[in-house]
Order: sequence, then structure tokens, then C-alpha cells
Amino acid sequence: MKSKVSSKIKKVSNLKYDRKMAEEPFEWWGPSPDEARRTMSNKAKGMRDKCMPLKEAVGRHVRDGINIGIGGFVNTRVPVAIVHEIIRHGARNLTLSFQSNSICAELLAGAMILDPERVSIRRVELAWWGYEVIGIAPLLRYLTSNGMIRLDDYTNYGMSARFKAAAMGIPFVPTRDHGGSDMELVNRGRMVECPFTDKNVYLVPACHPDLGIVHVTAADIYGNSRIFGAHCTCPEISMAAAHTIVTTERIIPNENIRTYPNLTEIPYASVDALVEQPYGAYPGASYGFYWFDMDHIKMFRGICDEFRKTGNKDGLKKYYDEYIFGCETFDDFLSKVGYKKLRQLRDMDGGQPIILS
Amino acid sequence: MPEYTPFEMIAYTGSRVLEDEKIVFVGTGLPIIASMHAQLTHAPGLSMIFESGPLSPILEMGMPLSVGDTRACRKACFLKGLSAVFELTQRGYSDYAFIGGAQIDMYGNVCSTFEGGTYNAPQTRFPGSGGAGAMAANCEKSIIIMALEKRRFTEKVEFLTSIGFGDGSADYREKAGVTGAGPYRVITNQALFGFDKKTRRMELLEVLPGKKAKNIQDMVSFDLLISPDLKEMAEPTAEDLRLLREVCDPEGYFLNRKVK
Repeated sequence: MKSKVSSKIKKVSNLKYDRKMAEEPFEWWGPSPDEARRTMSNKAKGMRDKCMPLKEAVGRHVRDGINIGIGGFVNTRVPVAIVHEIIRHGARNLTLSFQSNSICAELLAGAMILDPERVSIRRVELAWWGYEVIGIAPLLRYLTSNGMIRLDDYTNYGMSARFKAAAMGIPFVPTRDHGGSDMELVNRGRMVECPFTDKNVYLVPACHPDLGIVHVTAADIYGNSRIFGAHCTCPEISMAAAHTIVTTERIIPNENIRTYPNLTEIPYASVDALVEQPYGAYPGASYGFYWFDMDHIKMFRGICDEFRKTGNKDGLKKYYDEYIFGCETFDDFLSKVGYKKLRQLRDMDGGQPIILS
Repeated sequence: MPEYTPFEMIAYTGSRVLEDEKIVFVGTGLPIIASMHAQLTHAPGLSMIFESGPLSPILEMGMPLSVGDTRACRKACFLKGLSAVFELTQRGYSDYAFIGGAQIDMYGNVCSTFEGGTYNAPQTRFPGSGGAGAMAANCEKSIIIMALEKRRFTEKVEFLTSIGFGDGSADYREKAGVTGAGPYRVITNQALFGFDKKTRRMELLEVLPGKKAKNIQDMVSFDLLISPDLKEMAEPTAEDLRLLREVCDPEGYFLNRKVK
């Protein structure tokens, strides 16, 4: 029995699901709160220069079997540069956690389809995986209809609250959603009776990724980070994760951080590696710097959809060979995209006001 | 009456449903267009909230194509992240949820998770809840946009992603632990539906001029309640269409799509 308390969800929909799987004992899909706490207490917390090449950051923190928490939201400030490097590095048996994502999740899925010995995803805790106006995510559809990954579904608030609970150092958080939907039956949350109101309330477990990957607007060399535009769930993911790699559009002086400490959204102590990577979210968007590249996303999605429909991996292989394996660094990838395109995306952002001083 | 597309009718009807001085929680596409149109006409005091973080942006750079994008954040009054806007919603700040989905039942429960097969091995997996499940739970009233097709207006959804009135029992939402009052309107290009207060079942309120209740019932798999006061849907005027086409979605991303 998953829980003694429940809503009246049972017979509302025609849901068919694996009951055994849904009722298996609760298990953390990354570090438990105690483990995450220990990792944090054992860290050296001095203000040291955390800048390093992305290859080194990924080499230090990425290994098989970890839970990777992906920052950003759909096409916004998504950590694409880090994902490219993870694919080059290789990582198998991964758990992914995010609220809503498009290209990062699809890039990892494509790498798995091309070579599961290099990259493989075992399971995903998520709220949403798709491209909004551009269309559904073809590789999500491929992996699910072939039973190749396990999903654990929450709402966007549910996943955000799970990262937030972890960032707060508490093992769960009560939410006012999921209850009465089929997510109550299939996900790892639980309905309980509130000890104060005596009414039902749905608890979601904290989500501590082993590794948080986040792209920010600006940071000092210690990792103190500012985020302009939507914060998405980046501060929570950084603080929830056992380790965090941050890419930043710009490095700014520590003095600027200390002038306006209220603008720091991620404190240095929750950043383990920092990489200055302009256009690090491309083809996603980064407020104040560039809009997302609809054409590139459509092109990649088209290739993935072609594979889904035909089973032919040639187009997919060509994309990865050209844009990921054919590049030593993310700058090499950006050179292939070309200045003209990057300039156009900068203009489309319209130079939104951000504070770097 | 000027000619209009099905999507223009949906956007116009969505606008009509929204009241002034409220906050509407919007997703990409038609909800934004409907809300912009309402702001430009009868609801200048209406504010939008987007799930990535912004409250009350000014959409002067054009239609946001992603709810997190620069355009959706432009000149917002408050801009944090997902936690903040969903917590405002739990607290009671969001009056309307504007959601879509693949299937809906007579109690306004919506599926956007999968179709066919099982949850663990679905034939057709959709993106998932995203914000919709949280919006349907905690915005005060849910407005659902749906294509009027028999397979979508179904006896039972395949996965209940966004909560409506559940099995229709009076305490379903309370036992679910959610805070909002539940489904309010369902908008299609040929009919506008509400929900009967006593039975919580879907009720036909308005039909497209020229259509009869029977035409709509034929497109729906469950028995509809028909309002004793059944009305014709108001149609957009030339000025409404100008606003929709020239101001709200000048690039035609959402209004010029073809109906499948």
C-alpha cells in the first residue's frame, strides 16, 4: 500500500499502469537528504577561483549512474554547452531531473539512441518535455513508446517544489496539486492528512541531484551568480544539488557582487565549477544577451522526428558528428553557427536591461 | 459579419470569458492572445502571469513563443521563478487558469500525459503536465481550450493530468487537497461550455450561430447538459479581428494555423 490516505482518485480515468512499480517502496533517485547534507558539510567553503575549462568541470563531476538536475525552462537559459560536453565525455545509466525542458533532454536522448555505450538515460523525474510552439519532443516519444526509459511525472510546481525542499534542507514539501490527478497514483509523492487542518495534503519528496547544471547571466570567479529574466528553478537546483557546474555569459568582478549582494541568486558556496561561456544556452535564449534560435531548434527537431518516423539514424549521426563530436569546445560549435546568426539573435533579444555593475 | 478562422473565434471567446481586474495564468499561444485582446478591450485591468516567473509583463515585443522567453518577461512588475508564481497561485492570487489538453471528460478532467497503451509503455506520450496540473488545481477557475472532437470529449480520459471535478462528487476537490474552485469554461470554436453547479457536469451554454445543440452533442462522447438559456456565441467584429491579427498575433503563429 503506497499510502493510507488518498483522494478519491481511484476510478476516474481509464488509466492502465504497472501497480507493482507504483507501489514499490520509496527510494531516493539521487543523494538522500542526509547524504546531500554530508556532502555539503564536508566541502571546503573558501572563496576560491572556480573558473576552469568546461571539459575539466565535466571530467570532475560527471560519472555513470548520477542524477543530473537540468536548469532553465524549455528554451530559456538551458545549459546546452554543459550538455554537449557531457555527451562528449559520456555518462551512462543517468537519472535526469527537471521541470520543463526541450533541447537538453532531447540532446541526451539522441546521444543515447546513437550510442548507449556512451550515453544512456535510465529514468527521468519531470513535469514536461517538449518544444512548445515548435512541437512535441520526438525522442521522448520514441524512448517511451519503446519502453526504454522510466518516467516519474509531477507538475511544474511539483518539480520546482522538490528542488526547493532540497534547497531548504527538508525531506519533502506539502503542495496543493497532484492530489486527485493520476500523478497521485503513479509518482513518488504521497497523500497525507495534515496534522493541523486534518485535511488531505500532497507531499512531494525533496530532489537532490548529484549534479546541477545551470547557465546564468553573470557570476564572479567564486560562483556568486546573478540571473536576469525568469529565474526558472535555477537557484533551487544549484542549492539542492550535491555539486553544481555553472556556465555564465559574463564573469564580473567580486566587487560588483559585493556592491549589490541582493542581486546574487546563487551563492558561491553552492557552485563547484564555473565556466565563462558566452552563448552557453544556445540554441536556447539568455535574457539580455540573445533570443532562442527557432531555425536551429526546428532543424534538430526535424532530424529527430525523421528518425522517429523512419528509424534511420543517418541524419541524427550527421548532426552529432558535425556539431558535438566534431567540436573540441562549445566555441567551435558557435563558430559553425556563425557570427551572423548570433548577431541576429542578439538583436532579437533587444538588449534587455541587466545589471552587470 | 466578417470572416474569421476557428482559432480567431477561440481567442475571441477566451477574451470574452475573462473579467477585468483579475490575474490570468497563461500558457503559450491562444491563452496569451485571448488575454491580450481582453486587455485591449473590456479588461484593461487584467494581468497575466507566466509560469517561468513574470507577473504583469507588457507584451510590447510581440507574442512570446515560449512562456519563459524574453518577450514574456519584458517590463514585468515582478519577475522571479516557477516556485514564486505557483506559490502565488496556491495562495489565491491567480483567478483564471488557461490550459489545453488532448482529452476532456464531462467533469472537466483533462489528459495531457499519454494516449494508448499504459503509463509505463504508452503508445503516444505527450509532454506531460507542465504547469497545467498545478494551474487546474490552484487557480480559482479553470478555462480549458479543446478541439471539438468526439475522441477528445471522451467518457473517461486515459490519464487524469489536470484535475477537474474528478468523479463529480461534491467533495472530490477537497479530498484531493487542491485549493481552486475548479473548471469554469471549456472553449471550442463551435461551442462554449460551463459546468452545472449541482452535478458539476459539463453544460452547453452557447453555440456558433447556425448550429444546434444536437450538432454539438454529436461531437461529444458523453451526454451534455444543455442550458435552458442556450445562447448563440458572439462573433468577433471587424475591430476585434484587427486587434487579433495586427496587435495580438501579427506574425500569425497561432491564429493562422490550419485545423487538422
